[in-house]
Amino acid sequence: MATKRLLPLTRFTQPLRRPYHSYTHPAPPGPFNEIERSILSSAAKHIPSHGFTSTSLALGCSDAGYIAASTNLFPKAAFSLVEWHLLAQREALKGEVDAIAGDGAKPMGVGAKVKELTWRRLMGNEEVIHRWQEALALLASHPSTSIHELALLSDEIWFLSGDVSVDTSWYTKRASLSTIYAATELFMTTDKSVGFQETREFMERRFEDGRSIGSTLGSVGQWVGFTAHAGLNVLRSKGVRI
Amino acid sequence: MKLSIGSRSTRASLQTPLYDFLAPSLIITPRTRKHFSTTPRTLSATTHNESSKPPLSQPHRTPKAGPEAATNTAPPSKPLTQAQRDFLTSALRVNQAGELAATLIYTAQTPPIVASHPHLRPLMAHMYEQEAGHFKTFNGLLAKHRIRPTAMYPLWSVAATALGWGTAIMGREAAMACTEAVETEIGGHYNGQVRVLLDMIDSMESKGQEVGEDLRELVDSIRKIRDEELEHLDHAVENDAQKAVPHELLTGVIRAGCRGAIWVSERV
Ligand SMILES: [Fe+2]
Ligand SMILES: [Fe+2]
Repeated sequence: MATKRLLPLTRFTQPLRRPYHSYTHPAPPGPFNEIERSILSSAAKHIPSHGFTSTSLALGCSDAGYIAASTNLFPKAAFSLVEWHLLAQREALKGEVDAIAGDGAKPMGVGAKVKELTWRRLMGNEEVIHRWQEALALLASHPSTSIHELALLSDEIWFLSGDVSVDTSWYTKRASLSTIYAATELFMTTDKSVGFQETREFMERRFEDGRSIGSTLGSVGQWVGFTAHAGLNVLRSKGVRI
Repeated sequence: MKLSIGSRSTRASLQTPLYDFLAPSLIITPRTRKHFSTTPRTLSATTHNESSKPPLSQPHRTPKAGPEAATNTAPPSKPLTQAQRDFLTSALRVNQAGELAATLIYTAQTPPIVASHPHLRPLMAHMYEQEAGHFKTFNGLLAKHRIRPTAMYPLWSVAATALGWGTAIMGREAAMACTEAVETEIGGHYNGQVRVLLDMIDSMESKGQEVGEDLRELVDSIRKIRDEELEHLDHAVENDAQKAVPHELLTGVIRAGCRGAIWVSERV
């Protein structure tokens, strides 16, 4: 009964579906097996010209050396291609974080890393940006996957950036990054500027806004969390003997 | 502190496997213990094996988090099952919530208690320091293993502060009864976790699977923390927790509250 009512809440905190990240035990198998991975990665090369469609998927099958009927490995058809793109781009961020670390002379702070990784993830859409609205349409009809994937992405970015906070800010950080990312990704589909300059500026502004919103949200969380505690301390500092 | 093969076999010969989880971490990792009893204890002299440093802020293992934690990977073993990962996730989440509450209880209790009983200052400080160490350990483990903290974080903060302050103004006995009640629940809770973890390790070993070092370290950490909680329980009883009026009602209510909070934190 009570567990049932709690379920909707946990749906929005999805990284819990793949919990306990072990360093000595290998990770559990991902959503795609070996064959599916090889087909999907071949199919991804056709997205710029054929879009997130079953055509790309079928071309991927033959490129990877399977008969065209192998597309029935993917009951979700074109949507599997969207899932693959999201997964592959998210997994690629691990490599990006090393590139970032090697870039600068001085070590980057967590905030700067978050921004840089977010930008690099957005640039992961560069090749397919003229087809991205197709993907967004498919994602809109799979809302739980969209939310889950967005949550995984922001969790990944905060983790790779070295953030270790495990208090209420864990939630506000992920919520605000998800919002910034989703908004910027949408903006990018209409951006015709060179090198996505306008998208970059848009993203910078969102992070600026996010900073003030973040601190407001953070202080709401802290207000709820520490009012009693702080209240006691204020009274004590005023000489009230409690 | 490293545990040697020798001490492990000592433990095995001392305990039947059934009660292995009860083995105090003292046997595995000898550590110093300080008694803060306000009444003179003849026994305490024998257990005082303090060296140069006071054991107040014993450094807890603080695991690295973020990408750098991934560098020391051991030879591969089998993936943990979904059930095992679920257990570890909710166990670590609830432990962090509990230690958050513990630090806040002592923070809120200390000023009123120390104001009327100055001799309790070192004891309160000692217990607080240990709780802060526990909290730090679980914070590190949550970040390292990428576990979401409980969504009830703000609520537990308020509840723990209220509980600490409320029992402290009721007097020394009530404050100690609060510690007694909390630590009784927590000690049992940690024992349960150690038992499940040892079962998990046993079944992996019997199937010939490699057991990750993080699991073994976790058992040791929880054992050590469990011992410190039971030490707090002893201190509370020594300081007249059971003279609190009405003792049964007070500890009963607090213990029920702890169980409820544990139940919720394991889930949300
Ligand atoms: Fe503790
Ligand atoms: Fe404790």
